[in-house]
Amino acid sequence: MSTADQTIERVEPRVAERSRLPRPSLQGDWWRHLVALIAVAIALFPIAYVASAAFNADSSLGGASLIPRSVTLDNFRELLSPDPAKSQLQSSTSHYARWLGNSLVIALSVALLNVLLGALAAYAFSRFRFRGRRMGLLFLLLIQMFPQVLALVAIYLIVLRTGAVFPFMGLDTKVGLLLVYLGGVMGINTWLLKGFFDTIPSELDESARVDGATPSQIFWGVVLPLALPILSVIAILSFVGIFNEYILASTLLQSNENFTLPVGLKGYIDKQYSEHWGPFAAGVLLAGIPIMIIFMSLQRFIVSGLTQGSVKG
Amino acid sequence: MALGVLAAATLALDAIYLSPKRAIPLKFLIPGTVFLIAFQVVPIVYNVNVGFTNWSTGHILVKSEAIDGIKRNSLGPPANGTSYAMAPARDEDGDLVLLLVDEADGKEYVGTKDELKPLDKGSLKLGQFGTIASAPGYEIVKGRDLLALDQELAGFTVPTASGAIRAEGTETALELAPTLRYSRLNDTFTRIEDGKVFRDNGKGSFVAASGEELEPGWRTNIGLANFSAVLRDPLIREPFVRVFIWTFVFALSIVLISFALGLFLAIVLDKPTLRFRRIYQLLLVVPYALPGFLAVLIWGGLLNDDFGVVNSLLHAHIPWLFDPWWAKVSVIAVSVWLTVPYFLLVSLGALQSIPGELVEAARVDGGGGWQIFRRVTLPLLLVVVAPLMIASFAVNFNSFVTIYLLTAGGPASNDQSVAGATDILITYTYKLAFEAGKGNDFGLASAVSIFIFFIVASITGAAFWRSGSLENVR
Repeated sequence: MSTADQTIERVEPRVAERSRLPRPSLQGDWWRHLVALIAVAIALFPIAYVASAAFNADSSLGGASLIPRSVTLDNFRELLSPDPAKSQLQSSTSHYARWLGNSLVIALSVALLNVLLGALAAYAFSRFRFRGRRMGLLFLLLIQMFPQVLALVAIYLIVLRTGAVFPFMGLDTKVGLLLVYLGGVMGINTWLLKGFFDTIPSELDESARVDGATPSQIFWGVVLPLALPILSVIAILSFVGIFNEYILASTLLQSNENFTLPVGLKGYIDKQYSEHWGPFAAGVLLAGIPIMIIFMSLQRFIVSGLTQGSVKG
Repeated sequence: MALGVLAAATLALDAIYLSPKRAIPLKFLIPGTVFLIAFQVVPIVYNVNVGFTNWSTGHILVKSEAIDGIKRNSLGPPANGTSYAMAPARDEDGDLVLLLVDEADGKEYVGTKDELKPLDKGSLKLGQFGTIASAPGYEIVKGRDLLALDQELAGFTVPTASGAIRAEGTETALELAPTLRYSRLNDTFTRIEDGKVFRDNGKGSFVAASGEELEPGWRTNIGLANFSAVLRDPLIREPFVRVFIWTFVFALSIVLISFALGLFLAIVLDKPTLRFRRIYQLLLVVPYALPGFLAVLIWGGLLNDDFGVVNSLLHAHIPWLFDPWWAKVSVIAVSVWLTVPYFLLVSLGALQSIPGELVEAARVDGGGGWQIFRRVTLPLLLVVVAPLMIASFAVNFNSFVTIYLLTAGGPASNDQSVAGATDILITYTYKLAFEAGKGNDFGLASAVSIFIFFIVASITGAAFWRSGSLENVR
């Protein structure tokens, strides 16, 4: 049975195939089910394992099993309000609620500002003709190829010096990290949004202008509402991207309470795999499940956004 | 300075936003551009500049600071120097001062960080053992506060005409004299003891003819030295080349394996009549929806050699993350696990976009199943997927999180470099700059990051050029 069989099956147009209502049978497709089931098992096994560990009474890594021996919520309790006597090392204390809160605040703000600033720029690139427009667009593309991570040393030193003048946005502050993330907002997203804005007929703008609308009224009142679907996809992609970001956060944040979730959880589990496995697994569930649900429910939009040129890291 | 910049920026923004007709595009572009310039353009320019310097541990300061530092370091007690009874104290402003009584002639002084001031005789009340008990106008630091002052006190010097006075312990202070003399005219240090001359070597250090170096050095422009070190110096080139090759192997194998598996699964699922098709697809995308850092941390636990479930399922004791070879296998496998769903989704979409007539025509012409796949389906598929493969290659080329959270680039290699067995260029750069056990080397790290930029830019540039995206810029 080779892979080509199904290519041949696809020869007939799909609609016709459906209308003939072939009875779905398990027999001819057994190998497809076998392959799919094996793949699903491999895809889900780590997650199933973590889900089990989160509710397992034995919170050590060695005591983990696919089906928990006795179910408990202790791991969640330990994660959210760690017993100070139990966790002696400062760096390995869980401030899970704070970490998650920091991550959510930062990722949400960046996502919203990302969409807003990106849309503003994309609108200018799409609707106005001005000197340096083409250069600007190409420059945005080129600068993306120098990932922010590589300029880490410089970013660190800039934030360090900014902090000397304006302490509220220096090292180890959420504002500082947020501002650094905003440096990445004008990039591939501006391209995606410009492409979308280009498809909105400029007659709409024209008629609004005839009615006396200013460019900013056209932007807020006409273009932005029409672009809401793609705006929400970009917001979610950027939310997930920032939620995942580790390296800038770990470089700029220094105190345990200010950590974002990746930095905090990494420090929590690092070299403590055997002890902290249960609470860690609980933390994975709490943070991972909501993101997964959002992501999967918007999968269709996200994939079409991805195939247009950006890739989730 | 900061205020000036702030005022100028405010004025410029006012000019743009408050003028009714001019510069409308600018109004829309500025908000994003401000951040783009502050946190991408400036860092990159800065980064390129740092790449031309020797900025590293021991070369952090600017030259004038380094000269002051050398002068301070060279202070030593002369053979017959003055010694003082001393008590650290705070003046009215809370600044640290040293209260001093010359042990030879009993004269009293107060030493600040700027100067040594004589006090009237009897200003300091002496205790039983010649210690200073109290002083009007000053609060003597005692007890627990004194312990906390340890660091500050050790670095505190009172400059004098001939050298400086520094605390020795908490109750005495010694007059110190410099052992090196700096000549501003010749820009050299001369050791007083033996007349040895230390000259500026042009690379941020004062060095004697014998090779002896004075600490600290300073940061200075060293031209292309970092770049040529990457290409020529065997101690740097050898690990760089090793890491470079591994980065390529790592990224390429992830893309090829993930694409092959993703396409295979897509073909398996690409049959509209297949039962549970949507459920399979939904479940297979789960690894892609899980935040990446969580997935990598989970795998770190599963692959643990002592307690990890992978070893206990296999009844083996494989050092997945601690053996150079197995660690490489592990980071590729975990990355593939993360990447396959993406290629599954992309391939499913691409398969459905291939017109059925083409396959039909090939079949009429007598093509076999494999032949049709090889000659018709795959080439058409690659038109859509190839640019995404190149983009994915570029992403994996810099996939810091996977490497850093799983193996941290380890296990360590045998040679002297910081590069471990699984380090890719970007984690190697990070280690050079921030984690090097042998000190930070910002200059070299920046140089390496510029190399990475050109590699990634040429790969992605090729991708965009091939996919024709640039032609959309009208």
